Amino acid sequence: MLELKNLKLSYGSTQILNGVDLSVKRGDVVSIIGPSGTGKTTLLKCINYLVKPASGTIGFDKLKMDYQRPDNTAIQAIRLRTAMVFQQFNVFKNMTVIQNVMDPLVVVQRKSKDEARAIALQELDRVGLSDKLDSYPSQLSGGQLQRTGIARALAVKPDVMLFDEPTSSLDPELVGEVLRVIKDVTSSGITSLLVTHEMQFAKNISNRIVFMDRGVVAADGSPTEIFDAPSNPRLAQFLNSELAIQ
Amino acid sequence: MFDSEVLLPDLWDILGAVPVTLTMALAIFVLSTIVGSLFAMVEYRRVPVLRELVVAYKVAFKGVPMVIVIFLAYYGLPPALQFLASLIGIEFNGHATPNWVTLIVALTACVSAFQAEVVKGALNSFDTGQADAAYSLGYKRSQLFRRVMLPQVIVAAIPDLANSFMVIMKALSLGFAIEVVDIFAQSQLTAALNFYYLEAFLIAVVIYMVIAYIVTHGADRVEAALRART
Repeated sequence: MLELKNLKLSYGSTQILNGVDLSVKRGDVVSIIGPSGTGKTTLLKCINYLVKPASGTIGFDKLKMDYQRPDNTAIQAIRLRTAMVFQQFNVFKNMTVIQNVMDPLVVVQRKSKDEARAIALQELDRVGLSDKLDSYPSQLSGGQLQRTGIARALAVKPDVMLFDEPTSSLDPELVGEVLRVIKDVTSSGITSLLVTHEMQFAKNISNRIVFMDRGVVAADGSPTEIFDAPSNPRLAQFLNSELAIQ
Repeated sequence: MFDSEVLLPDLWDILGAVPVTLTMALAIFVLSTIVGSLFAMVEYRRVPVLRELVVAYKVAFKGVPMVIVIFLAYYGLPPALQFLASLIGIEFNGHATPNWVTLIVALTACVSAFQAEVVKGALNSFDTGQADAAYSLGYKRSQLFRRVMLPQVIVAAIPDLANSFMVIMKALSLGFAIEVVDIFAQSQLTAALNFYYLEAFLIAVVIYMVIAYIVTHGADRVEAALRART
């Protein structure tokens, strides 16, 4: 349902994406792993056109777009059918928890306040924030902020969930609560793309693992293929160093 | 040397200038905040050409002493207005422009350059991650601005905006140069009648301090109330 072809992007003279190909089928849970600075986050942001690739194409079901000819209708259509969870949470600081979840429904989807509220209550219950509805972001822990972010993303009923290192800026003791929620989301059958450094978690929840290295997809396979029998030497080296830390 | 007997009558005299001073300050504050915000948006959005013009404007009006701008406006504004009016075929005697209008225009021109920096700083304090989130959810730029950015930017700007108001209050005393009577000018005039200069200026100091206290305290409370929500 989602197909990226030959994505290229550079910041100044630094090449970040060097011809990335990635296709995701409906119902896939794909984890993207790899060393820092290899373009994992950038790749995710390209899907929502938050960064602008120099070249490449994106296909989303029947939609097709060439990044050299950006098309606002296609960009907006893809944004409306995906939802993103960010490393830095990026909840709206001027809104309460429930307002964060309701606002996109009211502003973008033009739902009535009552309808938006009903959906928000449901999603916030799912992420375990029913007791924090009227709290402002400044009053919440990182784990609660991220769960707000996840509820906000779920509420728009996306076809694809994009998780960008959702636990990387959390205190270690808060990682668990967020991973539990993500596991619940991905096991519900929604197509998901997850950039993560939590190797064990990626192995457990994904049906596919993509290893990115130096701006390209260097290995792509089932969790067993990637973790238990890494054929790529860079991948083996990366896994060794990651596992040495964990 | 110091006569406390004149304090009360002087106080009433000088208090008479407070409403005019505050009204002019408020007018300049509102106008310069609007103009400064426009300048800041030009810089924030990196609008070509206009951006360079804004930088040039800021250099000019931050650099030139306000009193010079006031005199330039005093001698230059009436003929300029008259000329502009004649261009669109309106008969207008530019020299009938009241001096308080000239003062408001001159100070607005100066303070706008400073307000532009205040608003620009507040805009820059907004973290772009929230913009990413909004765009990824399908917000349009105007919706992001109205729903998310503006409420946060206003709170961030409040302390500096309160500062600007006090700067304007004090800058109005330069209006005496073109015969506009504010708190300072009224103290000068009052003292000139009875020669009790020390007493009159002491009263002016107290009035300025009371206004500063109210503005600072008020801004703090508004900010605290709004900050709790961000």
